[in-house]
Amino acid sequence: MMQTWKALPLGLSFGLAALATPAMAQPDFSGTWERYPPPEETADPRYAPTPIPDPQLKPQYRAEWEAGQKILAERLKEGQPAGDNYVHCIPDGMPAMMMGMFPMEVFQRAGQINITQEAFNQTRRIYMNETLPNWDDIDPSFFGRSVGHWEGDTLVVETTGIKENVRFRWTPHSGGMKITERIRLLAPDILQDQISIEDAYLEAPWTYSYSFRRMKDYKLQEYVCEDNREYVDQNGNTRLKVDK
Amino acid sequence: MKRTLGFCLAIPSCAAVLAAPLYAHHSFAMFDNTRSVTLRGTVTAYQWTNPHVYLDIDADDGKGGTKHYTIEMTSPNMLHRGGWSSRTIKPGDVVTAVMSPLRDGQAGGLLLQLTLPSGKTMLPGVPNAQRYKITS
Repeated sequence: MMQTWKALPLGLSFGLAALATPAMAQPDFSGTWERYPPPEETADPRYAPTPIPDPQLKPQYRAEWEAGQKILAERLKEGQPAGDNYVHCIPDGMPAMMMGMFPMEVFQRAGQINITQEAFNQTRRIYMNETLPNWDDIDPSFFGRSVGHWEGDTLVVETTGIKENVRFRWTPHSGGMKITERIRLLAPDILQDQISIEDAYLEAPWTYSYSFRRMKDYKLQEYVCEDNREYVDQNGNTRLKVDK
Repeated sequence: MKRTLGFCLAIPSCAAVLAAPLYAHHSFAMFDNTRSVTLRGTVTAYQWTNPHVYLDIDADDGKGGTKHYTIEMTSPNMLHRGGWSSRTIKPGDVVTAVMSPLRDGQAGGLLLQLTLPSGKTMLPGVPNAQRYKITS
């Protein structure tokens, strides 16, 4: 009885909030954004992204991942990134694209939100208020299928249908991987993307976040991979074709 | 930002301040970052393309002749944000280039610094630039 009595005003206020929601304008994420903090800055703790933990892969997938991480660690020790996709002029795909290597542009309409990453002109399209298809009802692709809806001031985006060879940090995943993002403004010029990856290969969701800062007056540049002279030789070393 | 850039570009070496560290996205392990080579010569090509921009130079070989070098730069968008454009250099320009040489001995390298005919020195915004030693 006590509980019901207590819950009543709470329920009323939730009801009022729900009534008020349609009248509230959705936040507008339109514009150009860069990763925050950029490498030369220290983040304001209020807006700092959460670190990316290791994925909790099931034992049968761990060996492959650990072998890959050893190679990555060696390259990092050299002060070099792996950048495998980029060496081959292949875009990141999801979820790696959201690391924001270069600036990204959000183009927001009521029914569809597009996010374009400057590197490789990568564009993902988020269809609003549609149902996420089953992963095996769509053809696997780099960016998969994304649907979105608003929960108050937060844009919730679900994505599936990512090709198995499109990997973030060399992490294997199944065709059924699902990425859920909660995107919201932490401040008028700070955007946060909380990412949670669920997959049959994982023992627990893999979660982390990125922060982005609005770039005033920046126009995304074209990025067509026109003349890639880098290649990987038979020993796995990146080489340069010097003479055309 | 734009105003600062315009102001900075008018002052030789000011570009150095602008060239903020960037996220590394390509492996530059093929370049020897323990030493540099300085070339002085004539630009034969300046190719403004993705994924990277290339600068070709016929450099003085010190024996009265020239040797051709191909020098890799970063990407057009990164260079653009650092104050470069597709017209910063043109064939025929006499420039001084400091580069990390290719480890495999080919005549090429990664551009670390370029002095234009005007005397202005430009930095190409190499990620983790502090890891590349200038010894020449």
